[in-house]
Amino acid sequence: MASGFDESTSSSSSMGNGGNEAGNFECNICFDLPQDPIVTLCGHLYCWPCLYKWLHIHSHSQECPVCKALVQEEKLVPIYGRGKTPTDPRSKSVPGIHIPNRPAGQRPETAPPPNINNFSPHGFGLMGGFAPMATARFGSFTLSAAFGGLFSSLFNLQVHGFPNATLYGATPGFPYGFPNAFHGGHTPFFPQQPANQEQQADNYLKLLLLVIGVLVILALISS
Amino acid sequence: MTSSSAPSRKALSKIACNRLQKELVEWQVNPPAGFKHKVTDNLQRWVIEVNGASGTLYANETYQLQVDFPEHYPMEAPQVIFIPPAPQHPHIYSNGHICLDILYDSWSPAMTVSSICISILSMLSSSTAKQRPADNDRYVKNCRNGRSPKETRWWFHDDKV
Ligand SMILES: [Zn+2]
Ligand SMILES: [Zn+2]
Repeated sequence: MASGFDESTSSSSSMGNGGNEAGNFECNICFDLPQDPIVTLCGHLYCWPCLYKWLHIHSHSQECPVCKALVQEEKLVPIYGRGKTPTDPRSKSVPGIHIPNRPAGQRPETAPPPNINNFSPHGFGLMGGFAPMATARFGSFTLSAAFGGLFSSLFNLQVHGFPNATLYGATPGFPYGFPNAFHGGHTPFFPQQPANQEQQADNYLKLLLLVIGVLVILALISS
Repeated sequence: MTSSSAPSRKALSKIACNRLQKELVEWQVNPPAGFKHKVTDNLQRWVIEVNGASGTLYANETYQLQVDFPEHYPMEAPQVIFIPPAPQHPHIYSNGHICLDILYDSWSPAMTVSSICISILSMLSSSTAKQRPADNDRYVKNCRNGRSPKETRWWFHDDKV
């Protein structure tokens, strides 16, 4: 059952014709600002009630109305703006049709605390060399960051005076603005996706750091 | 705003009304080339003038499309027919019914009157012969009682036109 007409190209060219800028944020079905906005994996924005009604009541398929990509409800992403969603006066509820709540967002786990992403043999050496200075209130920023990562990842406690902890854990890049070369070209390793070799180095490092950490704590206790 | 000329139809829902008003505004700002919406106060039935594209079999010919919107537009496709005389085309019946998948099974609520018009014009433009569908007489006879093309079980021709 194919049609000879290439409707996909001709219609899609005029489908997204947002003559106005607000069109970028209009529901692709009712053309209004979306109520309970939801976006498909293919990036198309809808009101949840509009999409629900199309998929469950009117359509014979599970296709995105704009691009025909497969729509899986558990993969829809709700969009939560600021504030509480007011009840829309143009409520799109239809008598006799129960529209469930839109799927909830899938929240990835929280970013790890300041971690050893930014460790490198170079940084480690630095820290090792200055380890005694740890008792002297972490002389340098780099050091304190390093220790922040060490302490929190090993002992699950936060180092005081390091308030922006999450900031550092969140970015896989180099939060300190060091160029890559600074670290001797070594790829920073991530606990979540270690290459084998790196994992070994990781474990080795952790062990070393654990020892150092214990020493530091002992030093702190005994002082 | 609701229809008086399509009495068998239910009035447009609020959502349909809203969306049609937006489409109309957009049409007025940016009408598809070759089409002219004939202004009436009937939002539920649009009559649109089509001009055959130059360089095609239908150049310098003008036809009229009649678009009727169902209560639950855009969840349901509009009914689109040519007001006879319909263009001679292998997918257009003499009663004006059009064999075009997006008007039936392949309808999507993201489509608009404007996108339908563009599809119809491209269907006309790609025609290589001015002729009726092979089953024209049988089909038209079957529709005598005023059957809507939306009630037809269409199969879509797989040729190039
Ligand atoms: Zn909507
Ligand atoms: Zn899509």
